[in-house]
Amino acid sequence: MNPALLGNLGVSLALAFSLLGLALALLAYFQGDGRFLRGARALVLPALLAALAAFLALEWALLTHDFRVAYVAKNHSLQDPLWVTLVTPWAALEGSILLWGLLQTLYTFLAARKPLDPWRASLVLAVLFGIQVFFFGVMATIASPFETLPNPPADGVGPNPLLQNHWMMAVHPVLMYLGFVGLSVPFAYAVAAMAVRRYQTWVEETRWWALIAWGFLTAGKVAGMWWSYEVLGWGGYWAWDPVENASFIPWLLATAFLHTAIVQQTRGAFKAWNFAFVTLAFAATVLGTFLTRSGVIMSVHAFAEGPVGPAFLGFFLLSTSLGLGLLSRVGREVRDTAVFRPLSREGTLLLGAFFFAGWALVVLLGTFYPLLVEAFAGAKVSVGAPFFNQISAPIGAGILLLMGVGPILPWRRPRAEVFRNLYLLLAVLAGGTLLGLLLGYTLGASLAVGLFLYNLAAILLLVREGVLGRKAAGLSPWGFLENRRRVGSLVVHLGVALMGLGIAFSQTYRLEAEKTLYQGQAWEVAGVRMAFQGVRALDEGRRFAVEALLRTDRFGEVRPRLHFYPQMNAPLPAPKVIYTPGNDYYFLLMDFDREKGTWASVRLIVTPLVFWMWVAGGLMALGTLYILWPARGAEAAKGVSPA
Amino acid sequence: MKAKYLVGVLVILGALAYMIFGGLGRNLVYFLTPSEYLQDQAKYQNRPVRLGGLVKEGTVQYDKDRLELRFVLTDGVAEVPVLHRGTPPGMFKEGQGVVVEGRFGEGVFQGSNLLVKHSETYQPPKEGWTPEDVRKLIEEAK
Repeated sequence: MNPALLGNLGVSLALAFSLLGLALALLAYFQGDGRFLRGARALVLPALLAALAAFLALEWALLTHDFRVAYVAKNHSLQDPLWVTLVTPWAALEGSILLWGLLQTLYTFLAARKPLDPWRASLVLAVLFGIQVFFFGVMATIASPFETLPNPPADGVGPNPLLQNHWMMAVHPVLMYLGFVGLSVPFAYAVAAMAVRRYQTWVEETRWWALIAWGFLTAGKVAGMWWSYEVLGWGGYWAWDPVENASFIPWLLATAFLHTAIVQQTRGAFKAWNFAFVTLAFAATVLGTFLTRSGVIMSVHAFAEGPVGPAFLGFFLLSTSLGLGLLSRVGREVRDTAVFRPLSREGTLLLGAFFFAGWALVVLLGTFYPLLVEAFAGAKVSVGAPFFNQISAPIGAGILLLMGVGPILPWRRPRAEVFRNLYLLLAVLAGGTLLGLLLGYTLGASLAVGLFLYNLAAILLLVREGVLGRKAAGLSPWGFLENRRRVGSLVVHLGVALMGLGIAFSQTYRLEAEKTLYQGQAWEVAGVRMAFQGVRALDEGRRFAVEALLRTDRFGEVRPRLHFYPQMNAPLPAPKVIYTPGNDYYFLLMDFDREKGTWASVRLIVTPLVFWMWVAGGLMALGTLYILWPARGAEAAKGVSPA
Repeated sequence: MKAKYLVGVLVILGALAYMIFGGLGRNLVYFLTPSEYLQDQAKYQNRPVRLGGLVKEGTVQYDKDRLELRFVLTDGVAEVPVLHRGTPPGMFKEGQGVVVEGRFGEGVFQGSNLLVKHSETYQPPKEGWTPEDVRKLIEEAK
């Protein structure tokens, strides 16, 4: 037995179990026979074990430096530290698809444990097995992680050094995949709901899945931003790069779905929107992979190079037409008949969902526009970041505005006492914006201050209302914390408001200075006084590091670095970032005297409030976790949590 | 009543479309070779451009104290002088294929970002570049 053999066996078995499971689940549905359903259910665990075996085989190959496996030869080297070796399965395409497939079998396994009527259970399993067939089919044919080399090298080149430069890279892809895969369960339930025409309950039944997927996507995106900030050396966290956009679109659509789903759970409305949003959110995860893996966006000619691209495009079209096709068939039955007032809870939820979905559409358009220009005008172009920024600023402001007022408004129609709160909030918004202007901030940044304070006030109002309501009823005010959905969503909203403030300020006020310093020379810039002491070279085995020694008055000795990897023809910057509550100080070594080390070019980037963006990301994840945490009593009995 | 709503929706959609497509048009970054630029100079004045080519031998001047890098970019047919403020990237050297992001103005191409293709598999620069090779380079640089 060797790793490649075990891996191929695992992939083939996972494909076989998934195909069989798909067939049995479809038979169970069309024949109405429970035996087939039991058969399909019995295959969920074997598929998971086979996928796990394949994944462990890849780890085995990496840990034993088995360079006969092409993936290992391409992405591993003898010098890699243990943690890099362990995370290498998701450092390149084939391994990432394997991880995705493994997580899919895990989610299918968990989803299959939940009790459900046999009709829908068959269809849910059919959809989930179908997704597995796609992933393991791709691995078995065009993107095998276990392809072997006839002449294995003695050592490989290792994973892309960019991925080794920060531990965040071990976490970020896994979080993203956990999020992407999580959306498959609500999608499967939605397909089943439309097929058997039971439109109401699936939203409640998949609430846990949708939320956990959203939580993972959010954490994954923030981790990616952090990585970009600390590793790429440009002092930014978001570049509107096609790869970033590709994972932002499913996040936006999932957010839209979460909000309209609340309305269906409580008022039974927006059924059609929920079917549409969940289909598009799931399909967008597949489209994102197509975009980032096929090379289609950089150049149409790369289209023919990667066979994975067309496969993902086909799968995207298939899942979109399955979801939207079913929706068009049942469209008349799920149409909303009631009229919604814009000034009500459901009105703001729907409007907010439109903002998120519209945002997704704009990002999609901007990402694909170069293809259109190339097809019709023959010119090679890309869409610059300013376009995305200009469009995103008003949309983001609109969302922040709705986020504050939405939870304050009651369902159906506003009561008179609500208007007092609304006026109060508007006063805070206006006052905060005015305060910002008086402090000399730009209009945009001032508006961000106003919107942040406005949201903070709205959250405080809701907490006060909850606590006072309990007191009036003679209950302990701490019981408010038991209302997990409300408290958790307020924490998430606080995180979003803080994120908005951080983005507005870090985008508006950014200071950048660069200078070549000679040994002993001092430089004062942006309130920091530094003296250049010299450079030092360090041999770290798998890489060579050069660091500049800067003595600063505020942060002691700061040592930004350049890393030289043997497999890269250019050094990678390893900036030294010093976070403070106000500003971030981002030190970069740009260039140095290679002969005597007497001079170095140093860049300092000062950005406000970036620290708070990471705090905001943490709040969003914590709030989601708080909602998801299994509650004692009522909720556990309803079976909301599948664990 | 219904018509009024329809008009309202159309006006909003129209404004949105104008904003999106107007914004797209203003923010398009053109990928050019020096020959393409010289064919239609007026069109690209003060617009964001991604200019690709080879660093012409013997033209590189870098002043590390003023952080000014000057060189001539060529695609084998046409040449454009480039002024880039900042440190040259690690891989930057004469004869190397590079991509510069910036704008044309005052007789030179003013670069704001200089990209040398990061490549995991190193390829030595080959002789006799053609505009087609350069075109491929621009598209691949990231």
